[in-house]
Amino acid sequence: MFYVALRIILYDKVRSLITLLGVVFAVSLIFNQVGIFLGLMETSSVIIDHTPGDIWVTAKNNKNFDYSLPFPEYFYNHTISDPDIQSADKLIVAWGVIRQLEGGNEQLEIIGFNTDTGVGGPWEMMEGSPRDLKNGNFAIVDESAMKRLGRIQVGDYRDVLSRRVKIVGISRGVKSFTTAPIMFTSYELAQHLVSYVGSQSTVFIVAKVKPGVRPETVAERLGKRLKGVDVYTASDFSMKTRMYWAIETGVGFSFMLTIVISFLVGMLIVGQTIYNSTMEHIKEFGTLKALGASNMDIYKIIFSQAMINAMTGYIVSLIITIASVKIYELGAMVMVVEWWINLMVLGLTLVMCMAAAFVSVRRIKSIDPAILFRG
Amino acid sequence: MPDPVVTKELTKVYKEGKIEVTALKSTNLILEKGVVVGLFGPSGSGKTTLLSMLGCILRPTSGSLNIFGNEVCGLAEEDLPRIRREFISFIFQGFNLFPALTAYENVILGLKMKGIVGEDADKRACYMLSEVGLKERMHFLPRDVSGGQRQRIAVARALAADSPIILADEPTGNLDQSNGRKVMELLKHMAASQRRCIVVATHDNRIMDLIDRVLYMEDGSIRQEKRS
Ligand SMILES: Nc1ncnc2c1ncn2[C@@H]1O[C@H](COP(=O)(O)OP(=O)(O)OP(=O)(O)O)[C@@H](O)[C@H]1O
Ligand SMILES: [Mg+2]
Repeated sequence: MFYVALRIILYDKVRSLITLLGVVFAVSLIFNQVGIFLGLMETSSVIIDHTPGDIWVTAKNNKNFDYSLPFPEYFYNHTISDPDIQSADKLIVAWGVIRQLEGGNEQLEIIGFNTDTGVGGPWEMMEGSPRDLKNGNFAIVDESAMKRLGRIQVGDYRDVLSRRVKIVGISRGVKSFTTAPIMFTSYELAQHLVSYVGSQSTVFIVAKVKPGVRPETVAERLGKRLKGVDVYTASDFSMKTRMYWAIETGVGFSFMLTIVISFLVGMLIVGQTIYNSTMEHIKEFGTLKALGASNMDIYKIIFSQAMINAMTGYIVSLIITIASVKIYELGAMVMVVEWWINLMVLGLTLVMCMAAAFVSVRRIKSIDPAILFRG
Repeated sequence: MPDPVVTKELTKVYKEGKIEVTALKSTNLILEKGVVVGLFGPSGSGKTTLLSMLGCILRPTSGSLNIFGNEVCGLAEEDLPRIRREFISFIFQGFNLFPALTAYENVILGLKMKGIVGEDADKRACYMLSEVGLKERMHFLPRDVSGGQRQRIAVARALAADSPIILADEPTGNLDQSNGRKVMELLKHMAASQRRCIVVATHDNRIMDLIDRVLYMEDGSIRQEKRS
């Protein structure tokens, strides 16, 4: 039956090509939307996910990584004094302004971290080292910031808020959902630069638990004990940040909508062509029934057609998608392509094509014998 | 061995809204093996209706239909394919061949519906296609052969599986005289040599001489019968 379906598809080349294009269009769009969305999500929590720490202490009712308010530094002592905490670091994430060389200002996200431990600092360097930030007005900018800030080289000076800082390194892969350029400094410099943080405050405390201790347990206990701050496990905070950007900004919904529409468009195109093909072959199918075929025999032909449409469309889309990952990277965007996404989209494609075939199947069920006898 | 077809008071009433059309009126009929039966009669006299019911693709309104001892009227819809698979093959005026499949593949597919596959199917298809004179054109698509040849492919498909009952509706309707005759001669040859029961509904008086038993229908009833 699969063979018959294949022959029908190969016979009607124009129709099959249109179907293929339809499926490819829909599936590529789905791939693209899922990939870009997950890329954005990945970007939004990239710093949390790269920071070695099991527990994040944040200001009360804090919603995400990027827009966090300061809280008193003494919570650091409360945190480190917990018997299950092995180490802890303070981390500042705050907003500042950088003067462009050609004039004008650009908003920028400043990350001040402990340069001795490196916790919260860049994890991949193109030039320089996080240690170079010590003892002075030094900064590291990320490669991805160049598009906004223009070419920056190690040794350049830039005006950030009230001070002139020297660029001592270039990091790679540090991004934010806000797309703002990111600059790393020492914890102390960040405290000085950003006046709204203040000299007695931090924005996060990132802690490690002792080996063999569940972070969940510690986070819960700390959360109960420390009044005035929130305590999360790293993965919860990462998820909270992702969810914030996905839901509160409506970004998730708009991606979802595009995916649903693509799915429906694909289903319509496949449904339409399979239905037309079925109607054109209705006499032949009827004849098979007259010769003793059960409905199931004929469903197999129709579903095989749907299956072939789905698989060819999927494979072409997958190739297009993989090829376009590189193109996105050139535009400094992340598109996520992973085996589980591929599998999910494959499932979606199959469901799309199979559902489309159901309309045709219903026509087979009760073939009017009169059809068969018409000359 | 029971007769291929026995009908008792077989009746079909079509209902379209409030209008009822009695297309076949209480028909009693016994069809034997090895005989070519011709259903003649004006348009609308019920030939196709009778043929469809004999082929178990149309449900009678009342009466009984017995195929080789199997009472068909009481069977559920799911059980009918089995009866058709075992006993019945069709030939249509419009050929109804899959345009995407070659002559050979069309016959193979027909055989598959009858549960015949593999080497056996291959042998039967090749044999039947050469019997109908299409040995050379076996791997042609229907669009690449003439109308008469197309109908011969359909005949090969119908005959390849040894179905004891062959039902043909206007098999010569789309063919010119000589091609029509060839197809009918083939059917007659099969009926005689393989003792099949063949029923042909037709307007075509030119093939009258190839029919063993003529049933003349009018207004849903068999009015006259003539055996040669
Ligand atoms: N599906 C249907 N619904 C309603 N009436 C029908 C249907 N099929 C056939 N009829 C009617 O039943 C009667 C018999 O039709 P049938 O097709 O059996 O005639 P026929 O002898 O095969 O005619 P023809 O020589 O034109 O093929 C006609 O009056 C026809 O209008
Ligand atoms: Mg008719």
